[in-house]
Amino acid sequence: MFSKEVEKILPKVQKPGRYVGGELNSIIKNKDNVDIRFAFCFPDTYEIGMSHLGIKILYDIFNKRDYIWCERVFAPWTDMEDLMRENDIPLYGLESGDPINEFDFIGFTLQYELSFTNILNMLNLGGIPLLSKDRKELKNIVVGGGPCACNPEPIADFFDIFFLGDGEEVDLEVIDLYRECKKNGESKEEFLIKASKIKGVYVPSLYEPVYNEDGTVKEYIPLKGAPKEIEKRVCMDLDNTEFPESFVVPFLDIVHDRAVAEVLRGCIRGCRFCQAGFLYRPYREKSVDTINKQCRDLCATTGYDEISLSSLSTSDHSKLNELLDELHKWTESDRVSVSLPSLRVDGFSTELTDKIKSVRKSGLTFAPEAGSQRMRDVINKNVSEEELMKTVNVAFTNGWNKVKLYFMIGLPTETMDDVADIVNLGQKVVNAYYENPEKPKGKSVSVTVSAAAFVPKPFTPFQWFGQDSIKTLEEKQKHLLDTNTSRKLTVNYHDAYVSHIEAVFARGDRKLCKVMLEAFNRGFKFDGWGDYFSYENWIKLFEDMGIDPDFYSSRERSFDEVFPWDHLNYGIKKEFLINECKKAYEAKTTPNCREACSHCGASCYKGGICVEKHKNMV
Amino acid sequence: MKNIRIWFKKLNTARYISHLDLSRCMERAIHKAKLPFWYTEGFNPHVFLTITMPLSLGFSGTRESMDVKLLDDNYPYKDIISKLNSGLPKDIEVYEVTEAKMKPGAVAFSKYEIEINEADASAIADNIGKMFSEEKVMVLKKTKKGEGEIDIKPDFAKMKTVIKKENFVKYTVILKSSNNGSINPNLLFEAYNNKYGKQIYARINRVFCYDEKMNLFI
Repeated sequence: MFSKEVEKILPKVQKPGRYVGGELNSIIKNKDNVDIRFAFCFPDTYEIGMSHLGIKILYDIFNKRDYIWCERVFAPWTDMEDLMRENDIPLYGLESGDPINEFDFIGFTLQYELSFTNILNMLNLGGIPLLSKDRKELKNIVVGGGPCACNPEPIADFFDIFFLGDGEEVDLEVIDLYRECKKNGESKEEFLIKASKIKGVYVPSLYEPVYNEDGTVKEYIPLKGAPKEIEKRVCMDLDNTEFPESFVVPFLDIVHDRAVAEVLRGCIRGCRFCQAGFLYRPYREKSVDTINKQCRDLCATTGYDEISLSSLSTSDHSKLNELLDELHKWTESDRVSVSLPSLRVDGFSTELTDKIKSVRKSGLTFAPEAGSQRMRDVINKNVSEEELMKTVNVAFTNGWNKVKLYFMIGLPTETMDDVADIVNLGQKVVNAYYENPEKPKGKSVSVTVSAAAFVPKPFTPFQWFGQDSIKTLEEKQKHLLDTNTSRKLTVNYHDAYVSHIEAVFARGDRKLCKVMLEAFNRGFKFDGWGDYFSYENWIKLFEDMGIDPDFYSSRERSFDEVFPWDHLNYGIKKEFLINECKKAYEAKTTPNCREACSHCGASCYKGGICVEKHKNMV
Repeated sequence: MKNIRIWFKKLNTARYISHLDLSRCMERAIHKAKLPFWYTEGFNPHVFLTITMPLSLGFSGTRESMDVKLLDDNYPYKDIISKLNSGLPKDIEVYEVTEAKMKPGAVAFSKYEIEINEADASAIADNIGKMFSEEKVMVLKKTKKGEGEIDIKPDFAKMKTVIKKENFVKYTVILKSSNNGSINPNLLFEAYNNKYGKQIYARINRVFCYDEKMNLFI
């Protein structure tokens, strides 16, 4: 729904379908019949936000309760924003068309640091005061969840509540508490103090950071009875965790326009650069029956003809072949294809490619992440060159001739030789093609290696690591280009400037809130988009605010430093991360959770792989 | 197998769905309904459908149509209607199925309703009247071949005023709308903006299509 005012500006914007709602399966309720109105905000465009599974899960869970009406809100593109501001049209929910400042909860999903500026811009466009302390009444409670909630300090001043871990249960508990407090006429402060006692709830205003003279954190002091440590929430039984039977089906062609079934949570691998691999522990699978039923339901309610089996590493599901066989019993006759979002180098086989028809012959993507074996041992990406060669040969024999390989540069202990080995590995793949007697006839091979700059993240064994400087990263990028001698091999790299700013906020502290506020005042937005990101503007901003960005990005930390996220407990012991870090520098690998338990601490949740594989552990 | 024409309304939020997006939306609804329609063959089969003279973005339509090939000649039309509607968003509603008598390419004209909902609608209508009392009404028209100035006075000569109140004016007009070129009803307001320097927003709804002899498209 949209107002008459919005209707008048729609003819002037690109893709007006982003701003009107009305999609199949979107939920319309009577606002007079609900107690709680929840604005679920995704701080990026409609096409990106609508592709996100988390929003679909929570939209469904909230709207299944008759007393809650959850609506979707996305960041309007700048053409729409300009017209909205010009005509005094506040940001509105797509279902009702009502301004978001009429909502009880404004919830943001925190997917990546560079979307933070959009959060402030959206709040402002919705007519909501940016700072938590300026919102005094028990309404417009601004909440956030998702991966960046593991270190939300750079945006702590703007939020009332952060949810740590799986949102399915904790969000509802907080909503119910709010409903109760509102009924009893309690104040916002009373509500927040009560909420802080719920497991998985972090109320940043109830924690006071104290800093050392050198600017590092000394401690966080909990106020008004808030717990010293905030534990994340985990849904241990995924078969009995609510999952939507239907998705809102967009009209527009969005990034991932298909049914998505989540097959598992967590990851057994423990790659040392990967934050998700630690945040979402322990590894938990859904059963074949559950996944099969959820796929059928989704196809029946949406009309989608493609299902994606989504997770951090789908080929690790212990019963993947059984699942694919089960799906094939009905997908073929129903003209539905099954796809996997990502494939591990060691999870690719002829058997699998035969079952997944929709893996188009156009291109295959793998992520060895590092070029040399030593470097892959450092990051614990337990994939060998031999496995990669075996995999690409399977692909070539099966008719593929385009391969994309993803890598990172700027990893700890990396030398120029390691960087050159990225290109060398790509060249070996090119050579493997020509040595393969069963390669596609009469076709040339095309191999792309793509290198992103590494960003150290909290809750990983590399959280102490100082990011490479822009200068070093650029030298490495140049070395990649210089090493390449083949025309069959294309070398790409990602912008190091974006990675630098991302690194600042990833391990930032609460002192960065004033930088965020000024970033908003200066009109920063869509920093995840090349069209709007300006490194010069960011550096100028840091200078003007008297903040040294390198303190957060490239400073090497010592093991005894207190981090701004140390009072948040994701079930991973700091000693484990320290041990993993030390092993990384010795290029020693750690077995995956299925091979052996490495005592990370996640067994405290008493479930998932920690129990299945190591019954004696718990 | 026979060619059938499915008639539907495209209203409110659905006005902002482009031709391509409407096709995908219909494909999904057909797929969901498991209707016995003909699918293209090949590696990536999809249902064969043709949307007649797709509407411009932002316009509603109360008698839009699309053609499909029905494999089962005896399949009841009413089941097609109910099954499709269960897979379509509320602002797209199928209400009739007929045999496709004319070819989709036969459409040559469309009839539109134009509604101006402004406090000074009546004054705007007076200005429009004045504008058309001049010898020519020139506007810039973008076509595939580039830009060119055209005189829209002959096209809008038969525009009828259906309702004229102080704050609401409704016109109907029949304009060329074919594969060889169309006149967009919004050209009226482009001409208005050129002359009076004011952008007018009007709701535009297509009510019927006709062939070149002005027979109703069926």
